[in-house]
Amino acid sequence: MLFTTGPFFLFFAAFFLLYWFVFNKSIRWQNLLLLAGSYFFYAWGDGRFLVLLAGSSVLTYLLGILMGRAGVKSIAGTVLLCVGLAQGLGFLLYFKYFTSFLPLGLSFYTFKMMSYLLDIRKGKIQPTRDWVVFFSYLAFFPCLVAGPIDQPGALIPQLEKKRVFNYGQASDGMRQILWGLFKKVVIADNCGVWSGQIFGHYRELPGSALWYGAFLNAIWLYADFSGYSDMAIGYSRLIGFNVTRNFNFPFFARNIADFWRRWHISLTNWMTEYVFTPLAIYFRNYGKAGIVLAIFINFILLGMWHGPHRTFLYFGILHGCYFIPLVLRGTLNKKGRGNGFARMGTFVLVMLTFVIFRSESMHAAVGYYHRLFTTSVVARFYIEDPVFTSIVLACIVLLFAAEWLQRDKQHALQIDGVKWFPVRVLIYACLILLVLTYGPIKNADFIYIKF
Amino acid sequence: MRRGIGSFLLKTAFFVLAVLGLFEILYRRGVWPIISQSALYDHKMIRLQQEPVKKVKIMAMGSSLTLYELNSEMIVHNFPLPYYNFGSWNLQVSDIYPILKELVKEYRPEYVIMCSSVGDFMKPTDSVFQNFTNTNRFIRRHFPEFFYFRDYHSLRQLFDRKENGYLIDTDPWGGAFFTMKTINRAKWDMRLDFPTPYTAIQYRTLDSLCGWLQGQKVKLVYVQAPMKASYITTPAEQATITTHFDTCRSMVEGHGGVYLNYHNTAIFADSLFFDQWHLQASGGVVLTKELVADLKTIIK
Repeated sequence: MLFTTGPFFLFFAAFFLLYWFVFNKSIRWQNLLLLAGSYFFYAWGDGRFLVLLAGSSVLTYLLGILMGRAGVKSIAGTVLLCVGLAQGLGFLLYFKYFTSFLPLGLSFYTFKMMSYLLDIRKGKIQPTRDWVVFFSYLAFFPCLVAGPIDQPGALIPQLEKKRVFNYGQASDGMRQILWGLFKKVVIADNCGVWSGQIFGHYRELPGSALWYGAFLNAIWLYADFSGYSDMAIGYSRLIGFNVTRNFNFPFFARNIADFWRRWHISLTNWMTEYVFTPLAIYFRNYGKAGIVLAIFINFILLGMWHGPHRTFLYFGILHGCYFIPLVLRGTLNKKGRGNGFARMGTFVLVMLTFVIFRSESMHAAVGYYHRLFTTSVVARFYIEDPVFTSIVLACIVLLFAAEWLQRDKQHALQIDGVKWFPVRVLIYACLILLVLTYGPIKNADFIYIKF
Repeated sequence: MRRGIGSFLLKTAFFVLAVLGLFEILYRRGVWPIISQSALYDHKMIRLQQEPVKKVKIMAMGSSLTLYELNSEMIVHNFPLPYYNFGSWNLQVSDIYPILKELVKEYRPEYVIMCSSVGDFMKPTDSVFQNFTNTNRFIRRHFPEFFYFRDYHSLRQLFDRKENGYLIDTDPWGGAFFTMKTINRAKWDMRLDFPTPYTAIQYRTLDSLCGWLQGQKVKLVYVQAPMKASYITTPAEQATITTHFDTCRSMVEGHGGVYLNYHNTAIFADSLFFDQWHLQASGGVVLTKELVADLKTIIK
């Protein structure tokens, strides 16, 4: 059930009314409904892997309790942790690398599961005894299939408290959903189709078309995934939850480190906490070389998280390479304003890595790069429907203008500062009309659902 | 809390109603929802909701062959039973079957005439056609606007379908004559490439269709449409279509249906055809005349 489809809107409307009007008597009832709704959402269309989700939940829940009883630092606690991690990583590896199908959301809920056990080990959280809370944490439907990957310390305490409807939070959630819809339907789906055509025929096209395709591809990835995240966060806010922000206007990043602090934040945070930081500590005696090594391992794993294709591996390696100058100059964590050139340069570098991300193989990616830099970059190329294309390109300009103006906010449509209601209504109406008018020929899946 | 949520729901309802209102206006102005890739199928199905056909005792249902090759006036003139042609473009047997089931349940006809040929046994099923019949009859009849939301189509696509979608004027009984001026000859006159990987499933579906109609006590009249003589030239092609005729005949007759084969190159000269198997209007008249003569012994 995609966030952009009629069945989801109907499901959510029914869920919302039940949640706030029927099951609002106690926290237990709210959580039970949340769990039932999450399982219903997950099983819609194909319920085969619900057993996997439920089974993983049972195992992790029991391991958490047993770890708490055995003592988290004890040998038994370590063994239990290893069992949990082996199960999570084993399933991830098996389904990503040895089968042709991937259970929906596996990559995301497995990371939540592992962070739960690791945080118990670190003493950051206590194992929860309430199975409904824990199961709801893993299966929390707005974030189940493509994140954000909420860490247990952030989401479980919210599940343990009774939610009370907050008008401000809910209306801002609606705005974020609308903004996410605009990004997904108007921008991502159209850019995805056009860039797909260019990537599919890159051998016959001039360099100018390939630069255009690379640009559209970067916009597609961003608008698709951040649009999804906006909707996930928005729906969560409608039912009283604040989940982790996943994007912080990444195309305004000043350098590659800044980019990764803004792109897929929940995954980056996860990797930083559980992979990079332990590695950096482990390699601390090797100075800058140790940091570079930790970064490389981190990005290789991050690339491989996306799937078994070599393109993802090289995507990670290339990003790791981008970090080397920052490490050598000691500016990895330096914060500054940065200028337009730095932002533009970062965007171009990232855009070039997305060429690998999108290509079917490394051979195709290298071919694309080759034509990008050797054939004419000023040649004219054919655009199928120039008027419609211009409208979508204008919407991309609108997207960036709004995000730049609102860069200090949580999302670009956080316009609670606009006090005059008719103006707000006009803005909403324009966005709704754009969504209704300029969608693509065919509704596309969210790209990160495939991971 | 309740006041907060009441105000929130009120404002949300305002926007939802505005969107619904917009689509209602579009519907009333003839910018109809897109149900399938066949503009004609969608048009016919929605028009049937607006101007419901009350009684149908002789139901014609099938692909473009049923649509174009049965002359409605001749059938209506010869048989005093209510008649309607539900045929449309692009339907394969496996598309026809679920739609037919729904139509039979709704109209309870006594006879179903299905004019068909090898073209209906060549492609995979397109489940999109069932979007209409799978929808609750009450919603279909009273709220066809629902289809705007069942599958997302942008306003741009809806207007494009209205302006550029190829539609034909059907007669009051749903039939039509082939009046297309220009066609893609390379596509329409392609050589016989039959059977295809999808033919077996289409045969199985025909068998089920015949069995189901028998169970419903509805008489199936399966009309094998003629094919252009110049289309079937080699002995291998002749053998292929003979096998096809035999297969269909055994399925139809095996379930108590009537199988009528009009593939007769002496009667249906090449000049009566528009392409390899679609008859022109004059060809449709010849076929219907033959059919009516045979139906007189079947339809009482």
